[in-house]
This record gives sequence, C-alpha cells and structure tokens, in this order.
Amino acid sequence: MKIVGLESLVFGVDDVNGASRFLVDYGLAPVAVSDRGGRFEAIDGTAVVIAQQDDPALPPAPVPGCRLRKTVMGVADEATLGAIAAELRRDREVRRLPDGAIESIDDSGFVIGFQLTARRPFVLPGELSNAPGGVVFRPINSLGVPPPGSVIRPRSLSHVVYFVPDVMKAEAFYVNRLGFRCTDRFTGTGPFLQPGGSLDHHTHFLIGAPPHMHGVEHFTFHFGGPSEMITNGYRFVEKGYQAFWGPGRHILGSNWFWYFNSPFGCHIEMDADMDQHDASWQPREATASADNSQAFLLKMRSKWYPGPGIPENGDYA
Amino acid sequence: MATTREVGPPGWARLCRSDEIGEAQSRGFDPDHEGQDSLFIVRWQGDLHGWRNACPHIDGAPMAWRRDAYLNAEGTRIVCHAHGAEFMPDTGLCVQGPCRGERLSRIALAVVDGELFVKS
Repeated sequence: MKIVGLESLVFGVDDVNGASRFLVDYGLAPVAVSDRGGRFEAIDGTAVVIAQQDDPALPPAPVPGCRLRKTVMGVADEATLGAIAAELRRDREVRRLPDGAIESIDDSGFVIGFQLTARRPFVLPGELSNAPGGVVFRPINSLGVPPPGSVIRPRSLSHVVYFVPDVMKAEAFYVNRLGFRCTDRFTGTGPFLQPGGSLDHHTHFLIGAPPHMHGVEHFTFHFGGPSEMITNGYRFVEKGYQAFWGPGRHILGSNWFWYFNSPFGCHIEMDADMDQHDASWQPREATASADNSQAFLLKMRSKWYPGPGIPENGDYA
Repeated sequence: MATTREVGPPGWARLCRSDEIGEAQSRGFDPDHEGQDSLFIVRWQGDLHGWRNACPHIDGAPMAWRRDAYLNAEGTRIVCHAHGAEFMPDTGLCVQGPCRGERLSRIALAVVDGELFVKS
C-alpha cells in the first residue's frame, strides 16, 4: 500500500493560545488559527492541528489524558485509499468523511485517518558539507551557519511514537494490514516502521508500555540539516522552552535529534538527516538503552575566552 | 558579587518575594545554578508549595513545557509536560498519567518578612 507518510496530527489542548505560540516558535506556519484552534504547517503542508480539548468535533482519545486525537496518513492514490478501506472494513468501522478521506481506529485505540496526500512539492537545498574529497559542496562564499535573524522552518512531518500496551499486536496491525515494514528494532521495546510509499527510516515507532503509559511519547518534523535543527533548538531554548534530551544524533535512523517538553502531554522533537532505506535493507536489532540510541550528545559553552564580561581566565567551569 | 545563598537565614536560599507568585501560578527556580530549574513553587488556595522539578515517572525528568509553565491552563493541576502526568498542587499526588499514585518530592519553604526562602 502506498502510504507516503504522516499528513497531520490532531491534538485537543487546554490552552489553545499557549499551544499556538509554541508551534509558531517551533517554526510552523499558522493557517486559519483562532482561539478555538487551527492548523500549523511545515513547508510541504504537513501539519499539526489543534482544537480545544472539549471540542465535540474531535475524535475520542485512545485513553483519558492522551491529547493526540487523530493521526492522519497520506496515500499516493485513490486505489490505495480504497484498498485500505476494504482491508479495515473486514473487522472494524471505516467512516468516509465529506472530503473523501477515511477514518478508522488501529488495534491500540488510536484514531487513524487516510487521505490523498496534499504534500506540496518544493525544492530547497539541504545542508551541504565542505568535506575534502567530496563531490558536492556548498557554493563558494555560502555560509554553513544560519545567520542571525534567518527564518528556519521545519520541512515535513517526520514521525510519531506511540506507547502501546501490546506492541506485538500493534506491530502486526501496521505490518499485516497496512503494509508497513520494520526497518530496525529495539529488543523488548518495539519496531521502527516504514510505510510502503516512503523511504524514511521510520514514520512510526512503537514502544511497548504498561497500560497506564498508553499514549504518545513524541512526534517531530524534519529540518533541512543539523545546523538548522540545532540553531532552531537553541533559539527555542532562548525563548524559554524546556529541553528534555539533546541535541544529539541517534544510531538507528541516524537522525539528529533534540527533544522538548510540549503542551501536548508528550515530547516534541526537532530532527534532521534521517537514513533512508529501500526493500533491500535488512533490519537490525539492538538492546534499547541510552548508549544504543545516541551516537553523541552536544552541549554548547556560551563563553570560554577571556574578554569583556567574561572572567579573567575565561569561563571554563 | 553576592549570590542568593549569601542572603537571608543561614542554610536557606532566597528565591523571590512571596507575593510575586499569585494564586494558581507557578514559577521555577535554579538556586544551585545548574542551568535548568531544579525546583518550582505553586500557590494553591493561598498557600505556597515547593516541589522538585523531577517527575517520578522518569527519574529527574523536567516537567514544564515553557519556563515557569508547570500548571494546566486552569491552574488546578501540576502537569508533567513530558508524558502528561497530573499532580495535585498541594499534596504532589499524581492523580492521572504514567505515575498515578506516586508523589512529587516536596521542598521545604520559609517566608520571612515577605521573602521566600528554600532550604538548601
């Protein structure tokens, strides 16, 4: 099935204005936003949608307290949409929505939607490295660091991570019913899953968790490269947002990461430069530990050299 | 330059004026200059309560989503914005989420002449 990836995530929140400000500061573009909610888009049109948590139009949460109300996936064509509807109707309700999209529920209780993808094609260079001996370089006199005041925007909705009470059942649903493929796996934790129409290492990661953890661990958008991602993360921190983990680089998937707390009752990540794989890729399996999930972590030293406003011997504490 | 530890009763560090934290408001502090707030204060039904900025569901997980943002929109619950755990502001008891039944770690507070101090 040609599911191309995530199209949007829908959240019910208790503070629409605070959540709106958070998403704009993250870098997303507000579209038709009011005090009752709205849509916040990446460059390609993939988005986070928020609404007041008591909005009757919101689908139900999988468990009380979970603020994610719906995960919408994009598909390449009508044939895929029809195939998904036919497959899911074998054992569950599938609703056809007025805009032609369909809506159902997965085996973990998350409401899922499928629509023809509305991702907007765009051409924007990714981060290039002036590696000696390389073939592709930044243009001469082009700077590697995003200049102060430059606008950094997430490019595309990347992935979502669920806490699920029965990870084997959850994996079977996405693999056997929707055509996802496991690209890598953390032993005893769960699989990274890639849909049939994407080359990204994963659009979904499932973590087996006790029932009281059932919900969402994080979601994230792709940025244009590590320099964009880290610069945007530092700007985010300077605005008062609270970091949880990072910046660093994962091992499985290779994506650069920086995680933050969010008003969505889960973490939000900024990511960049995820591995891509095709059907020839052989899934790896690793024990889930911090040392297996981070290749390295970075920390910025704000000042280290002697100078105005800095201790005589620099600041090397 | 005097630090907050060098002001006030011995063994206590000054945080702020107590009336700077209004009803149903929260504020984080970093008295040990760790670079991230290690504790936060909430005012709930008139009383101030101090808690470690460490959700019990993951050892030491910071809880706010933005500086000083430890409460829900109504100001009725402390929320861990990592995975959504909700706590009572006065008892620190988790009433919803991944650490239901567990408690936040309380920080001893003192108010002297309108100044708020934390036991260091």
